[in-house]
Amino acid sequence: MESSQIVKRYKTRQRIIDVLPFFALVLLFGLFCAVVQAKGYRLDMYLKIIFNEGIVLAVVATGAVFIYTLGSFDISLGASTLFSATLGVMTYNATQSLPLMILVIFGVAIGCSLLSSVLASVFHIPVFVTTVAMMSVLSAIAAQIITTRGGALGGISIPSEVVAPLDNMGFKIAVLAAFWLICFFVFNYTKIGRRQKFLGGNPVCAQLSGIRINTYAIIAFVMAGLGVGLGAFLTLVYTPSVTATTASSIGMNIIVAIVFGGMPISGGPRSRIYSALVGGFSYILLNNILKLIVDSGVGYGVSQIVAAVCFLAVVYVTGINYRSKELPR
Amino acid sequence: MKVSRRIIGTLAIPCMAAAILLILCAIGGKSMIANATSFNYFVQYIAIVMITTMALSVNLGSGRFDFSLGSMAVLSSVLAAKVTKAILNGGTGSAIVMLALGILFGGLLGLASGGLYVTLKIPPIIASLGVTLIYEGITFTVTSGKYVMDEVRNPSMTAFAGSWYYPAILIAAVLALTIYLFDHTRFGYDYRALQSGQKVAVNTGIREIPNVLWCYVICGALMGIVGFLNAARSSNINGGALNFGSIGIMFTAFLPMFIGGYIGRFSNDKLGYFLAAVCMSMLNSTFAAFSNEISASMQSIINAVLLVVFLIYLNNEGLLKKLFKPVKA
Repeated sequence: MESSQIVKRYKTRQRIIDVLPFFALVLLFGLFCAVVQAKGYRLDMYLKIIFNEGIVLAVVATGAVFIYTLGSFDISLGASTLFSATLGVMTYNATQSLPLMILVIFGVAIGCSLLSSVLASVFHIPVFVTTVAMMSVLSAIAAQIITTRGGALGGISIPSEVVAPLDNMGFKIAVLAAFWLICFFVFNYTKIGRRQKFLGGNPVCAQLSGIRINTYAIIAFVMAGLGVGLGAFLTLVYTPSVTATTASSIGMNIIVAIVFGGMPISGGPRSRIYSALVGGFSYILLNNILKLIVDSGVGYGVSQIVAAVCFLAVVYVTGINYRSKELPR
Repeated sequence: MKVSRRIIGTLAIPCMAAAILLILCAIGGKSMIANATSFNYFVQYIAIVMITTMALSVNLGSGRFDFSLGSMAVLSSVLAAKVTKAILNGGTGSAIVMLALGILFGGLLGLASGGLYVTLKIPPIIASLGVTLIYEGITFTVTSGKYVMDEVRNPSMTAFAGSWYYPAILIAAVLALTIYLFDHTRFGYDYRALQSGQKVAVNTGIREIPNVLWCYVICGALMGIVGFLNAARSSNINGGALNFGSIGIMFTAFLPMFIGGYIGRFSNDKLGYFLAAVCMSMLNSTFAAFSNEISASMQSIINAVLLVVFLIYLNNEGLLKKLFKPVKA
């Protein structure tokens, strides 16, 4: 085969791969609506559930894209969300001040992220291990606070009327859009995003070009911290109480969402900021469709198997242009 | 390296850990191992930690991150328990049959996991996420999301759980077998070659795929033993873990893996994992002795802090040596 044909074939495949996550999202959305209608349930109510579940995952994952672009990953983001929300609730209960609560949530979220990045970059600890340790510490402290202060209720909460005015689609869409646009701009139109992609694609070459990995790692973790803070705040807006299991699965779901959205886990130049948004909502839609179809207790297991198979299929298809002789690591 | 330095380097951490923990127990007026039952738990915990650490290090050492270890342990033990119950109905020899079946099912699950990775050629971390979801889903479906109790509560299992010598035999057997496999066979030589230079090793004719598949089989079989030991220890198996609920098992193995790797510099890495597991078991027994004073959350925090401190030392060893090196006049 001629080289021009190979290039053409490669480009065609790449175009298909690039639009595949969007196509999957539209398809899943259509399927979800059809299933809800067929079951005779209220579509508006179910869409609200999907939106509220998806927005937290999408926001936290969008911030996390900056970390994943560097080829690192962070599984402590769920624990960080829980910890920020816990301290936010404690602050509100102590001061009755919503602005202070928001400030504490963001401060704690960014602080946790910065601590992870400092441990990783200053003390040269592998990022993953740092985040494992952070996950253990943050979830343990949050659990301790919640069980001590929550008592028999098993959770701590703020009065629902405090956040009730914010619990509407308009506000949440505005928050999501604002955060996503900031991330989109930083990721695609500033040297921060470009250099992070370079570092993720070829760290040795990037460092030899004078790019300081520690600086961009810290920026990536700060962006992730912003996402975590926003996620924790939106969690409280939707459910104004925190239990030890709040946001517990977010850390792992972020990886699934990002990959589902078509971004390679190795980061680098093929990283896309939209992956988190598209993948996050796709994953939530898929899970809910399966829950609706397999409508029984035991069915949760089956629906998880189907979701995993879909996930693996998406990863296989999106990586089809990047196979090498050796097995990937 | 001198033999005396090797011996000192190998035994320094376990001896220091034992001394510190025994002093703490003496100060608090407690006994680390109060009676025969605590000694049984002590040895069982060594076996669980050592084997999990070995399973984690098999693939992680080669840059393959495997989240599915926990799900393999749970599913293999569930399947082994159900088949054993069907064959022997809780009669004589149930424990040994369940152990053998656990190893068999674990090996098969490992083979399936490795097979998926080499067939799809997707990053191992992603493959392991998919496999984790699938195995958790299967476990949930098989057990209806409930605890498996009847199948693991019989006189044979009680006898196994009530003695220290069965886990001790397992420790010796696994240690001998892994040292033989990884240090004295062609498989082990190929494994090391692939570990240190994948591309060069493949180009020199080493067959990567069979080697990787064997690694996954060994890993699965080891987790089969862990699943069995956990079932014997707690007299039940939790079949209800979904959405990455099973990955916690692997996090317990991080600290011993790094400690074991450090000890391995002076002797053998497998021996290092054993000694690191002894340290972890001593720490666990001390936590048990101080259970009224130290909560589960506090234990998680202490473990995480120890991990971070040890890694700070490990990754900045050269710098620390430089700092404390006497300046020549």
